[in-house]
Amino acid sequence: MISKKLAATAVLALSALLAAGCGSTKDAARPAAGGAGAEAGRAGVVLPLLTSPFWQAYNNYVPRMAKELGVETLPTVNSNSDPAQQVTDINNLVTQGVKGIVVSPLDSAAIVAGLRQAENKGIPVVAVDVAPESGKVFMIVRANNRAYGEKACKHIGDQVKKGKVVQIQGDLASVNGRERSEAFNQCMKANYPDIKVLEIPAEWKSDVAAAKLDGLLNANPDVKGIYLQAGGVYLAPTLQTLKSKGMLRPAGDDKHIVIVSNDGIPQEFDAIRKGEIDATVSQPADAYARYGLFYVKAAMEGKTFRPGPTDHDSEIVKLPNGLLEDQLAAPLVTKENVDDKALWGNSVK
Amino acid sequence: MRRLRELALVPALVALIVLGAFVNENFLSYANIISILGSSAALAMVVLAESLILITGKIDLSLESVVGIAPALGALVVIPAASAGFGLELPTAVGLALIVVVGALVGAFNGFLVVKLRLNAFIVSLAMLIVLRGLLVGATKGKTLFDMPEPFFALATTTFLGIPISVWLAAAAFGVAGFFLRYHRLGRALYAIGGNPAAARAAGIRVDRVLLGVFVVAGALSGLGGLIQTGYVGAINANQGANMIFMVMAAAVVGGIAMDGGRGTMSGALTGVLLLGVVTNLLTLAQVSSFWIQSIQGAIILVALMIARVTTGRAQE
Repeated sequence: MISKKLAATAVLALSALLAAGCGSTKDAARPAAGGAGAEAGRAGVVLPLLTSPFWQAYNNYVPRMAKELGVETLPTVNSNSDPAQQVTDINNLVTQGVKGIVVSPLDSAAIVAGLRQAENKGIPVVAVDVAPESGKVFMIVRANNRAYGEKACKHIGDQVKKGKVVQIQGDLASVNGRERSEAFNQCMKANYPDIKVLEIPAEWKSDVAAAKLDGLLNANPDVKGIYLQAGGVYLAPTLQTLKSKGMLRPAGDDKHIVIVSNDGIPQEFDAIRKGEIDATVSQPADAYARYGLFYVKAAMEGKTFRPGPTDHDSEIVKLPNGLLEDQLAAPLVTKENVDDKALWGNSVK
Repeated sequence: MRRLRELALVPALVALIVLGAFVNENFLSYANIISILGSSAALAMVVLAESLILITGKIDLSLESVVGIAPALGALVVIPAASAGFGLELPTAVGLALIVVVGALVGAFNGFLVVKLRLNAFIVSLAMLIVLRGLLVGATKGKTLFDMPEPFFALATTTFLGIPISVWLAAAAFGVAGFFLRYHRLGRALYAIGGNPAAARAAGIRVDRVLLGVFVVAGALSGLGGLIQTGYVGAINANQGANMIFMVMAAAVVGGIAMDGGRGTMSGALTGVLLLGVVTNLLTLAQVSSFWIQSIQGAIILVALMIARVTTGRAQE
């Protein structure tokens, strides 16, 4: 009897507790903090991964740019290539009471749950590098990946004009990889009808790129150009494979294969100086950090933006889903401008 | 029947090669065959390592992380601090030796956990996979290591009789392992342990010692596999070897190594490796649409398994 009573009381107490604790994640929603001139608060920065030279450079630029712009940031958080972890990271930042978040989504769809959490608390989010499918972000800061593919296409096409060109693709399940591939193919088809594009899907993996390029060159020893969609992972295996086949000839040689890479890391610059590759599209790691923080600061201060040209050589466009995207310019680096101090690849050590 | 079983994949392999010859005239060219072998060498070493462990009835998932961390540590002690190294700048030979030593030490540690502490091999090696991957990212700060001295690439870039050293090395390793497993007392002991550890112990086999030895050898082989991979790719990415264990398991099991121990041969495992290498190469030469290549690759492996089942008429475990 006693035990039954006890149990009943326990159940009652527990349900009371549950009822009291009940609620939704929206309850704490409140408008963005403070009036003008008030303490702006701290911002959180979420990184997608740290195993690429590009994101390492970005990570190094964040504190520097934050200082320049006068934004107070928490130490950066690394989601380590795990989209679920990224949502957790955003939640953690929300819990820590940040007033703005800069996130580089790993996956354009999987990030939406995280964006909702921030939106419910009235915290503005700036998305860097990848545009979310839906959800609310204050601004998307992104280099134009279609422009990467087009620049590479033009540079290779103008020199090759006729023959076979290889494109070492990224992960086709990612927006960035897909857009580069599409733009490259469309531009080739439209402008250089005599060029045949061969494809190597390599999922951003160096060993896959090496094995497939190795095989492809056996069947097509007359390849005249190669586009590497990510120099950070594909540069070393490409050079290694060409070297082992005796096909790595310096620029100017009759048999030189025109290679255009993508990223703008120091190793690519070295290869350009040596004449091993011809050009690379420099992804603006510094501008990513600067404008990610610039917009999050603006959001915390309550500013708004409209579509149109900006003061930094780029254009804000309105995407079909209503979000705003600042499309940053990405310079093509060739032998002529490879020593330019303004390129981020020349300032990292 | 035993011989049939180990050669179960050969019909599928032959079918693929004939198909390849029709798809692209360069498929059977000497240069392309060398490419297939060269690109499979690193995988072959790790498959060999995993097969030895599987035959004893254990498993080591962390071998894929050894493929990354062993060559990376070897490189880090050699390259200067300006190239993201530790700044020790030890002689190249020390770095190369360290690669095998690190592999063996990791193997010894895994073996200790599994054999002495009697922990579950699957879970322990899964934890070690994560630990070692994390150590690699930490030690390199996530950076890709580029500036290794030439000997780090030599296995994949130098050739003997036109064939990369890495291929000779893998072939020799498979030959030695195959010979040991078939004819040597120690090799037979692996099957005995995998089949029935208690009976093996009763028969006078030092089960714990042999198991520990197998883990150490497997670790060292994986370290070598990592070095081959480094030479093939020309750099060490902090993700080197990540997800490789799926391919390793696929090659071993497709090649007839039993997941529950006691059965499988080296020649079988080797056909598994070659099958995967041939499929990748063939699909690239055929320029199959990038969006469908993965599903076709998986389907071919599946069909190969079915052909193996039909041609030998034996159930696969």
